[in-house]
Amino acid sequence: MWQLVLQSLIFGILMGGIYASLGVGFTLTWGVTKILNISHCTFAVLAAYMAYWLLVLVGVDPLISLAIIAPTFFAIGLAVYIGLMRSLFKAEDITMASMVFTVGLATVLENLMLYTWSPDPRVMITPYTGRSIFLGGVAVPITALTCFLVSIGTVLGVYLFLHKTYVGKAVRATWQNPELASLYGIDKEKVTMITFGLAMVSAGVGGVCLALISSFYPSIHNIWTIHLFLVVIIGGVGSVIGAAVGGIIVGLLNALCGIFIPYSWLPVVSFSTLIVLLLVRPRGLFRT
Amino acid sequence: MSKIAATKLKAIIIAVIVVAAVTGGSLWYYYTVVLPARKPIKIGGSLPLTGIYSETAKWIERGYRYWADEINKKGGLLGRPVELIIYDDESDVDKARMYLEKAITVDHVDLILGGYPGTACVAQMAVAEKYHMVYISMGGHLWSFEQGYQYCFGGPPLMGQWWAIGFLEFLESLPPDERPKKAAILVMDNVIGWACWESVMGKHEVGRRGSGEWVDIGIGLDDLGIEVVLEEAYSLPTTYETILSLVAKAKASGADVLFTLSFFDDGVMTIRACKELDYEPKAIFQGVGTLIPAWVEELGKDGDYVFSGTMLHWKLPYVKDERPDLIEYCRKTWGIDPPLYFLFGYCWMQVLQQAVEGVGRIDHDAMKDWLRTHEIHTIAGTFTFDEKGLPPPYSYCTQVINGSVELIWPPEVRTAEPVYPRPHWEEYGGASATAAGLTVDVESVPPGPGHLCYNIMANHLGAPSFIKGPMMLIMGLTAAVLLVTLAKVL
Repeated sequence: MWQLVLQSLIFGILMGGIYASLGVGFTLTWGVTKILNISHCTFAVLAAYMAYWLLVLVGVDPLISLAIIAPTFFAIGLAVYIGLMRSLFKAEDITMASMVFTVGLATVLENLMLYTWSPDPRVMITPYTGRSIFLGGVAVPITALTCFLVSIGTVLGVYLFLHKTYVGKAVRATWQNPELASLYGIDKEKVTMITFGLAMVSAGVGGVCLALISSFYPSIHNIWTIHLFLVVIIGGVGSVIGAAVGGIIVGLLNALCGIFIPYSWLPVVSFSTLIVLLLVRPRGLFRT
Repeated sequence: MSKIAATKLKAIIIAVIVVAAVTGGSLWYYYTVVLPARKPIKIGGSLPLTGIYSETAKWIERGYRYWADEINKKGGLLGRPVELIIYDDESDVDKARMYLEKAITVDHVDLILGGYPGTACVAQMAVAEKYHMVYISMGGHLWSFEQGYQYCFGGPPLMGQWWAIGFLEFLESLPPDERPKKAAILVMDNVIGWACWESVMGKHEVGRRGSGEWVDIGIGLDDLGIEVVLEEAYSLPTTYETILSLVAKAKASGADVLFTLSFFDDGVMTIRACKELDYEPKAIFQGVGTLIPAWVEELGKDGDYVFSGTMLHWKLPYVKDERPDLIEYCRKTWGIDPPLYFLFGYCWMQVLQQAVEGVGRIDHDAMKDWLRTHEIHTIAGTFTFDEKGLPPPYSYCTQVINGSVELIWPPEVRTAEPVYPRPHWEEYGGASATAAGLTVDVESVPPGPGHLCYNIMANHLGAPSFIKGPMMLIMGLTAAVLLVTLAKVL
């Protein structure tokens, strides 16, 4: 039994870390710009397809391809903000308007991916697929471990950027008090653009990591989005550390509950926890 | 008017009447007799040619098309050419139902095609009944044939409730001390999964799931003294983390036989997870995945020694001895032995053909009666249909051995000695399919929209590779430009 608990702990932490990297961008956009980007995971799936193409057509390992995907997705983030999202700030209720808009955007993107790649599930097979490191009798899948390290690196990178760089501090200042930040000469437009760029990088990294450990297809973003909401709401909207902790909590919750209750009951437990948490702490664990 | 003028007018009128009568008669004859005789017989329906079931469905389509080509070369069905209209339902049950209805109401097809998988068949069976059209398909489970339908036949079916008969009989043949003692069952939470579960347990809930009326349908785990220590259901589509967690539970439960009642994609993930977690049951019994050529291509050696069931196989005498042309065709066209679903597609069309030819016209009421009162000769053998539209229950046990699906049970059709208990993972060759290098040649892989070819290509390209010529140079430059832009923005 202890072995199963340990095994589930490892799965939970590894998966949670990966969801955290996906969640950090989502929570930043929501917290800083008030834009609820439902299409976040759809972009993550797009990143997965990019990595897939680079793997099968050129032979680039998906983790190496992140060197290209991350800056590309930063550029996509800027383009999406300038081309599509900027006008949303004219709306009275930005969150509601953005939610409706990004649901539409997610639908369009999903259908474009369906048209381009078909609904067939894809699997990225690398030389380390299906291999594990064994600690006693407990398996640590190499793919999940590598993705976890990359994801945690991403979360840490975003955290350090926000706390140690001038631009990062400007992002935080804008998020905490937009009016005061403007008085100090912080360019809100530029800050929002950077936030969007960073969010897309997180989507890209999270998407590639998730795709490396599981099969993916255009509509899988719906499943990922449900996990994302859990991660962000538990962690607290706008908090990078919250996203990381929320991810690990969701991962552990899924993995550990799976031991004691039938797996088909897991969604009930996950969402009941969410309801209880919202009742006790409506702003999440880490939002101040 | 003069007499001559009146006569001329009469002559003209008579001539016009004669011409009109001859033209009308000719047209009538052409449209009612000649044209129908030349008009193609349209046979339509849908298959999941893309999506999660596409790996299987594309072989059914090939079976359908082979039959159509064959019959057209022989002069057609009832002397008329055959034309297939096959829509892609994208593995979506609603679309499967919609496209079958479209084929009937918009395309006005004369005959309809069976769909795939069982979930789609169930939906399409209701449509077939509504329009009173004979529907030959796999059916998928016993409940779909317990609805009192008159026009639906499993010819033969891919019957979930019969799926494990052969495997359980094989286990029964082992000395009791060699049999597995504990079983873990991972079942996809849909009707097909639960139908297979009934087969494993040897009992059936009559009419519908949840009816509470159980009947014995043959040998089950209880009869063999095998205790079920874990039973978990999961929804499709699923994720690898779900499968990994479930396999971890199966391993921790100490089960020495694993039943993964899955389709192809989740079945592949389960085997991968078993290896990743070093789970070593004595036997693994899988749903329908192992019977698809992609099983071996995706898993390589890791896909070996997995048991399954089937109702049809190219090594059965009905195919091997009686229809060598089918084997030759598949080997010549795709470089492989006839896949199961290719044979199923062909077989269902054989049944439909016999119904039409038996009646001598396209009359669905007469065809359904004919099918229930005559012996049907197919590549799955000779059988008769009961009032439910089913042949008598049967199933063969299969096992993947050295990348080939072999018949294991019953002994009279055995094509290879069963490998039981299965060897440990490290004895398989010590590496995953990809790392070990697939033996499948890219050229032999059938073209299609599936992901398989890409996976194999990826393997041949030998990922990871840091430098792949000009393409990598272009990508490197792109990345550099993007990084400079990023630095400037920050």
